[in-house]
Amino acid sequence: MLDLIDPRADHAETLSVEEAWAMEIQTQAQITRFKGAMWIAVAVLLLFNSAALVTVVNGFGVGPVQDTIVVMADTWNTQMEKQGLSEPVRVIREGVLYLHDLDWSDVGLGDAPDQGAHNLRGSASDGSEG
Amino acid sequence: MLFPTLTFGIFFLIVFTVSWSMHWTPEPRKWFLVGASYFFYAWWDWRFTTLLFGTTLINYLGGLALDRAKRDATRKWIVGFVVVVDLGVLAFFKYYDFFLTSLDGVMRTLGLARDLPFMEVILPIGISFFTFQGISYVVDVYRGHVRAERSLLDVMLFKSFFPQLVAGPIVRAADFIPQLQAPVQLTRDHVSVGVVLILTGLAKKMVIANYLATEIVDPVFFDPSVVSALDLLIGIYAYAIQIYCDFSGYSDIAIGVAALLGYRFLANFDQPYRAASLQDFWRRWHISLSTWLRDYLYIPLGGNRGGEAQRYRNLFITMFLGGLWHGAAWTFIIWGSFHGAMLGLEQWLKRKLESVAPVSADAPGLLTRLGNGAQHVVGVVSTFHIVCFAWIFFRADSFSTAMDYLIGFGDWSSANAYVTPFVVGLVAVGLLFQFTPRQMGRELAINLRELPAPVLGLLLGLGIFVIWSVAPEGVAPFIYFQF
Repeated sequence: MLDLIDPRADHAETLSVEEAWAMEIQTQAQITRFKGAMWIAVAVLLLFNSAALVTVVNGFGVGPVQDTIVVMADTWNTQMEKQGLSEPVRVIREGVLYLHDLDWSDVGLGDAPDQGAHNLRGSASDGSEG
Repeated sequence: MLFPTLTFGIFFLIVFTVSWSMHWTPEPRKWFLVGASYFFYAWWDWRFTTLLFGTTLINYLGGLALDRAKRDATRKWIVGFVVVVDLGVLAFFKYYDFFLTSLDGVMRTLGLARDLPFMEVILPIGISFFTFQGISYVVDVYRGHVRAERSLLDVMLFKSFFPQLVAGPIVRAADFIPQLQAPVQLTRDHVSVGVVLILTGLAKKMVIANYLATEIVDPVFFDPSVVSALDLLIGIYAYAIQIYCDFSGYSDIAIGVAALLGYRFLANFDQPYRAASLQDFWRRWHISLSTWLRDYLYIPLGGNRGGEAQRYRNLFITMFLGGLWHGAAWTFIIWGSFHGAMLGLEQWLKRKLESVAPVSADAPGLLTRLGNGAQHVVGVVSTFHIVCFAWIFFRADSFSTAMDYLIGFGDWSSANAYVTPFVVGLVAVGLLFQFTPRQMGRELAINLRELPAPVLGLLLGLGIFVIWSVAPEGVAPFIYFQF
């Protein structure tokens, strides 16, 4: 993938004035494009992940500025929750928790979560030894 | 300042905006990037910025002195002096206490116990990486592979550039310094490659590596004597995936961040667990370190020159020192020595096999092709298991823990506690990505190339959001920070 990154600029002396100018125009356009993309990404995170913002600002020390930031983050998070924007995090986390808590019987492989070693070994022991 | 944190996100937002606003004026931009890199380093412990600057200055002056010296003996003396200083600094911070502890043990065994001058030396983060970068610079100047750099600023940025400062990839002067002297550019490809690498790196680290660490690896390595053999077996597979996702995830983010700032690093990993031999594994794992060891240790030791025995000796010494580079502990030395011995054995077996059944120049028939395919599968499976066996020593906090781990494989009677479908699924996903087409990431980057800013921003924001939501709470440090 790294071969996509154009190494021509390392040999700028071989570029014509037009090529160098085109390179500069492209650079300006991409700076603007990625700056815009970053701010949109920040907005998405502020909207959907406001609880994480509260967690971060709660780690700040005590002081008038910090306290104001904490209150603002709390208010913002409450508003986002009211608008239902914290729902996607909850749904994703519930899905992950469901997968996390599956045991082997849930996926049709064995009767109990602690039988793996015995199945592999083919032992008739009850699994309580050792 | 860890990559997957809000703090780093804010830091990068500022660095990106300010550095690109200065791209018309290369020197101030470089000063700004050096300042940002020293700030990034100072975030851990500001006192060590003087160490970083001091070693950079020595390398810079060493390069200049090499350039001016005409006599070969003088040049040898200069390069030797700079390398000894670099290694001396590394040895003091990294190996002083280990050396004294080992010496104390030997003296007690011999009945010669003495009070030794123990100091609790703090290990500066990233010292192993920036020391190796410094050594490569002066050796390359000595060999004539790069010109001695006149600008202290360029050497400072080469050595301290924050994406690679604390855990690599180990960047070479010949690859990086010419980029500092050329007009910096940001193309659609820089952006798309950067976004793909940052998102895949975050997913590898925050989801796969962090879950595997907390769900199985940390518990089974905490006390291997009390867990079942199946837990131990899946535990070591899980560690193989964890360390890959952790370290290659870090490398991906570092390379992606550098790309967004207009610089190009070389790849550091190439699906290492699909290797069909140990030699192939080392061409795919931590490529910047293995090529460093090849160029600055293995080849100077004699490399493939000389007899067969000398070659095996050189391999062993290189891997032994590679193990020691990772950390001041016998477990790392055993890990490196094991790899060195197995690489030698593999090459010896290969030569014997070739002498018994030489490779035919004719086009292979169906049976030969089937045989080659089967041989390849056996090679991949056996290489993976040899690497996993060595990981036990790498991960264990002591030799006795590693031995408990190995002894645990003898008892399959106890019930397993950590092998769940979730853990097995993560290991399977981690292994699956070792065998996906090599160009997958490239194709993805090409597809992102033409996206307008709002769509790219949504993709980046939603990507980070989903990774953040799926990942376990908290951010564990990267494994390679300790080296």
